[in-house]
Amino acid sequence: MKIISERYVPLVVSVGQVVIFPYYILWLKEVSLTLTLFTWFFAAFSFSAALGYRLFQVGKKPADSFIPYIYMGMGCVYILVGYITSTFEVLPYIALFFQVILGLLQGYHHAWHIEQKSFRLHAINHYLLVGIIMIGLSSVKIISPISFISTFGAILFICGMGLLIKKSKDSSVSN
Amino acid sequence: MEPSQLKSNKQVIHKNPWFLGILLCIFVVSVLASIPIEKRKYGLSQSNLTTDYTGLLPERIKKIVKAGDRSEIQEMVKEANEMGYHISIAGLQHSQGGHTYYKDNVVLDMKTFNKVLEIDKQNQTIKVESGASWEEVQEAIQPYGLALKVTQSQSIFTIGGSLSVNAHGRDIRFGPMAGTVREMTILTPTGEIKTVTRNDSEEWMKYVFGGYGLFGVILDVTLELTENDVYTIHTEELKTNEYEDYFANLIRNDDTSMHYARVSVAPNSFLDEMYVIDYIKTGKVDHKTPLKKERGARIGKLALDIGRQGGSLEDLFWENQKLLIKSLDGDEVTRNNAMRGNSAFMEFTKPGRVEVLQEFFIPVEHYEEYMSDLKRILPPNDKNDDFKIHNITVRYAAKDDYTYLNYAKEDMFGLVILIQHGLKEKEIHNAKTIIQEWTDLTLKHGGGYYLPYYHYQSKEQFRKSYPSWEMFQEEKLIRDPNGVFQNIFYDYYF
Ligand SMILES: Cc1cc2nc3c(=O)[nH]c(=O)nc-3n(C[C@H](O)[C@H](O)[C@H](O)COP(=O)(O)OP(=O)(O)OC[C@H]3O[C@@H](n4cnc5c(N)ncnc54)[C@H](O)[C@@H]3O)c2cc1C
Repeated sequence: MKIISERYVPLVVSVGQVVIFPYYILWLKEVSLTLTLFTWFFAAFSFSAALGYRLFQVGKKPADSFIPYIYMGMGCVYILVGYITSTFEVLPYIALFFQVILGLLQGYHHAWHIEQKSFRLHAINHYLLVGIIMIGLSSVKIISPISFISTFGAILFICGMGLLIKKSKDSSVSN
Repeated sequence: MEPSQLKSNKQVIHKNPWFLGILLCIFVVSVLASIPIEKRKYGLSQSNLTTDYTGLLPERIKKIVKAGDRSEIQEMVKEANEMGYHISIAGLQHSQGGHTYYKDNVVLDMKTFNKVLEIDKQNQTIKVESGASWEEVQEAIQPYGLALKVTQSQSIFTIGGSLSVNAHGRDIRFGPMAGTVREMTILTPTGEIKTVTRNDSEEWMKYVFGGYGLFGVILDVTLELTENDVYTIHTEELKTNEYEDYFANLIRNDDTSMHYARVSVAPNSFLDEMYVIDYIKTGKVDHKTPLKKERGARIGKLALDIGRQGGSLEDLFWENQKLLIKSLDGDEVTRNNAMRGNSAFMEFTKPGRVEVLQEFFIPVEHYEEYMSDLKRILPPNDKNDDFKIHNITVRYAAKDDYTYLNYAKEDMFGLVILIQHGLKEKEIHNAKTIIQEWTDLTLKHGGGYYLPYYHYQSKEQFRKSYPSWEMFQEEKLIRDPNGVFQNIFYDYYF
């Protein structure tokens, strides 16, 4: 079980993020009214990622305890993106909020992830998997980008939930 | 301090979570404040489908010709007579029923034809090309302490487009817009350039004004102006059944120059409550106050969006609106500024839905019975309905003897209604049914409806509202024998 949480879940998260990003960018581009705004959205993402990264570094280690919530939070954002259909006028405001949340969580996850022992191995698997999955997805024509985004959200959410369950089991065993 | 210490301090600051958090907050707040309001996409396009303000009637057109000089336009009209193609005339395309284009034919885009030709301060007139917007006219006359006599409540329309629908606004003294034109140059459907006045025996003005671009191109107009008076704003809350008396008093008293009212469409006070806004003369004339720019569009849009949700949020919106209006009481405003209401806050861009305008005219003395009858056909709470009413403004439209296709056969109140509905066939059909029922009720009270908007009404309702339609058509066939000027509006109704 330790192997799953330390190796495969972070892999799913980081590979999934890269794979899903083109679809998410498509969504964000539609929501951004101008190119400037689109760029600002990404700037907001980066600034909050910087904060997330730093928050991990200054926190008490090991900070594994937050990781399931980080995944669940990211999952929720992606699921919500998939569900929003009509609140169009306020969508840019919601998108900005999402960018900040995603950035923060992503920064935190990244800071945690590179400190894990299995990170080096992941780097190689990561690139290979991203390439293969992207080629795979490009051949799926029926599903809209939004479904990819929310499916990924659901996967992240399940990963987070799985880790939480595992943790509570571990702690009850050790008690 | 040691240099090495300075260096390490610097490193600390940009890695400090507080610093990063504050940076993020400042950035996010400034982005929030700069998110622009989305403009709906409409207008002329040769490569794609052409639409107008609502985008409800997309069509492919053959060609767009930007109005150059008058001889070029004249050549084009002559050529259309010979070759048998149609021309539609487009100003800023705020009309909503395909008045400015026609399938597979040519659109004459007047926006570039916008020079101010002459300002006569002594006689208070301006001669200007018809593609100019009211905004451009206001910019030209404001330094002279002059103002327009009649415009719409906003200044975003062209002169040609406004005269072709014979628009009306907040002024209650100067009558219809058509009455403020002293002289006009037109290009007739057969290609002649004529200068015409109101006394012209051929009555060109009567057909061109309120003629929806079907009787020729308005090239330039000489408009009568008035002083840029300063007004005090008076606002008051009323019950709907007090309005007729209130207005009768107001019109008798010469002090008030402009006026409009708003009726509640919020569930708790639906069609029962109103507020009025009057512009009362102070006796001062203004040369200095700059023309106001649109401000607070984002907040206005946010408030309107809240109101758009319906139900208790619409009640909240109405209560806030009343507070806002109350806060204007006693303020001073120039005539020019009172004639340039905000418009960006109205932008509505929800996919799969449309926001349209309709206007019903009702004889002044029928207002109260009409409003109480209206309550029987409209639900007070449309929160869960597809067809939603967001706003009703009331204006006064004085009897109009200047045009043939006239909506004010006597002194009327115009009820401008902002409506939202879906774009599925079923939803458009539902909107059509409600609006037709509403039109029948209006006709029953001796009223009618405005033609620059989308044609939910039937041909029969059109004929009842505009009994002189037949004469209009006969005259069209005589003056434009080759049917040079054509648009979707004409095609639908005639
Ligand atoms: C938000 C909004 C608020 C409005 N408020 C008011 C209001 O307060 N009062 C009111 O009366 N109306 C109002 N209207 C309606 C508005 O006055 C008309 O839509 C008007 O036609 C807009 O001018 P335009 O320049 O956009 O004309 P367009 O829509 O471009 O053209 C309108 C008609 O004029 C013809 N035309 C244009 N230029 C010429 C020309 N040079 N020669 C001959 N024909 C020409 C066109 O062929 C067309 O038939 C409003 C509309 C909107 C969308």
